[in-house]
Amino acid sequence: MVTVELDDIRKTYGDETAVEALDLTVADGEILGVVGPSGCGKTTTLRTIAGFETPTAGRVRFADEDVTHVSPERRNVGLVFQSYALFDNMSVLANVAFGPKMQGVEKAERRDRAVELLELLDIAELADRAPETLSGGQQQRVGLARALAIEPNILLLDEPMTGLDAKLKDRLRREIGSLLDELGVTALYVTHDQEEAMAMCDRIAVLNDGRLEQVGTPREIYESPANEFVAGFVGSANLLDAQLDDGTVDLGFTRLHAVTDDTSGDATVVVRPDDIAVGSGSIPVTIREYQYLGETTSAVGELPDGQQLRLRLNGTAEETTVGTTVSVAIDPDGVAVVDTA
Amino acid sequence: MSTTTWFELSAARDTLTPETERDRRRRRILVLCAPFLVLAAVAAFVPLATMIRMSVSADRFANVGFSVSAWRTLATDPLYRRVAVNTLWFAAATSAVSVTLGVAVSHAFAKYSLPFERVLVSVVSFPIALPGIVVAFMVVALLGRQGLVTNAVAFFSGQGPIDLATATTVTGLFVGYVYSLLPRATMVLRGTYAEVNTDAEQAARALGADPLRTFYYVTLPEIRPGIVAASLLTFRTALAIFGTVLVLQGLNVATLQISQVLSVGYESQIAASIGLVYFAFILAVTFVGLRYTEADVIRR
Repeated sequence: MVTVELDDIRKTYGDETAVEALDLTVADGEILGVVGPSGCGKTTTLRTIAGFETPTAGRVRFADEDVTHVSPERRNVGLVFQSYALFDNMSVLANVAFGPKMQGVEKAERRDRAVELLELLDIAELADRAPETLSGGQQQRVGLARALAIEPNILLLDEPMTGLDAKLKDRLRREIGSLLDELGVTALYVTHDQEEAMAMCDRIAVLNDGRLEQVGTPREIYESPANEFVAGFVGSANLLDAQLDDGTVDLGFTRLHAVTDDTSGDATVVVRPDDIAVGSGSIPVTIREYQYLGETTSAVGELPDGQQLRLRLNGTAEETTVGTTVSVAIDPDGVAVVDTA
Repeated sequence: MSTTTWFELSAARDTLTPETERDRRRRRILVLCAPFLVLAAVAAFVPLATMIRMSVSADRFANVGFSVSAWRTLATDPLYRRVAVNTLWFAAATSAVSVTLGVAVSHAFAKYSLPFERVLVSVVSFPIALPGIVVAFMVVALLGRQGLVTNAVAFFSGQGPIDLATATTVTGLFVGYVYSLLPRATMVLRGTYAEVNTDAEQAARALGADPLRTFYYVTLPEIRPGIVAASLLTFRTALAIFGTVLVLQGLNVATLQISQVLSVGYESQIAASIGLVYFAFILAVTFVGLRYTEADVIRR
């Protein structure tokens, strides 16, 4: 496994810019998640690393070696697709042994390697089966085994869990996460599912409209979003207008002693629903809509100044109805400044 | 009236005046297929029955008496063995070349953004609508005594155009056949290429397969049903080509031989016998083809 660097990558298709000024490093052994809305450039980034797209400008480096113009078959990257992309004309074993075969590995050795990976992924009994007879989860395990069989420089996963049911997704996510950790694989994990990225990745890069908005650990991205877009895209967030004054955040309806470097002026702050305690505090909020979600109840309330506030009504859902006024308190530690005037 | 007959009549009545969705579906099928059944009866079954009678007729100009001499001639005369061999090898070879070129052309259209793609598609497709006789003339214009290629080669080699002209040889005929068959092969194969799993191809590339090995291990197995279908279509078409072979001659194949036995001496029994063999052979090829164009069968 190697460190992979994208250096000032730009990719355009005619007048359309897919990726702009992208600097990104996937450290050796790291799993880097790439998230963002549809059309933000996630897949273009992945395909650029794989060699299926040549950047309009910029460099791609594997362990300091420039591979910008190296063809895909000479980059030694493992690709895992949302569509599984297994070879239907081959058995599961032949699928997994395909990469080593292309690398010129002896027949007995590539068979051993394939069997070992199938055992590692707990699908050894499927070795002689045809891919089309497998379930989605089984096919994705085969796809992963096939990609790992070449001992890739980097493993590229393109929305691998999309299309699987929630329970299977959760199980596979845990299994794949621990397997990649165990093997010390360098991986780029493209997904539109932020929760999946949070659970599986060491760091997350948030892309929007071809640009990198922020890269950091899941905690940094969630708790200290760089801007309004990241705050709104990752998790549920309230973006509130505020006035900063010497470490104090004046929200109009309340003043908080929040830790912030920005000393004064107009600002936008983000407050997560998790940092709002319902039933205590002195801020009155009138419930305008709510959704019962089983483990929690999500609600939208109205503040005295008319701004809307997303809340989580844990354990208080039964006595809350639309029109009810509840009192809330905002945890000052959960307030992050995302934009200053 | 027996129970079976009563049941059949009842089913027919239900189809004509349906009350259930099943009966209405039957009536729709009947309405949709009726024109074909009428056409098949008039244009195929009746002439076929007449041809069977004609092949065993004792007289060339009237279907009278009974004689198997035409069939005996067909089975024993070396001329007809030669015609059969010519017909088969030539159709197989031109079909194989057309499908191979068709795969290359379809691959290029499917995998690359070509400049002036619509124009190129039209250029590849339009010969499908050309009469064989026009194709023959184009071959003459290219490879005949006054042909462009002939005169270009003559200019550079210093030989005479008459010695170099190949329009009316097997080579000229081969070019004419392939020109007619290529658009048919491409038409079928382009449809097949649209179904190819491009993610699997990219997975193979990422796993270390160069474009040629990716084609061999991943693309080729996926387009195999299309190759079989295109081969059958071009093979059957090649067996039936007449206009081009009539003008260029080059090789004595079945269609040309039928024309000759009818125009010289009106040997209707021989012509009918060749026609029947031809019909039976194409029917057999079609049945085999239908079986092997099923993707599942090919995979097994």
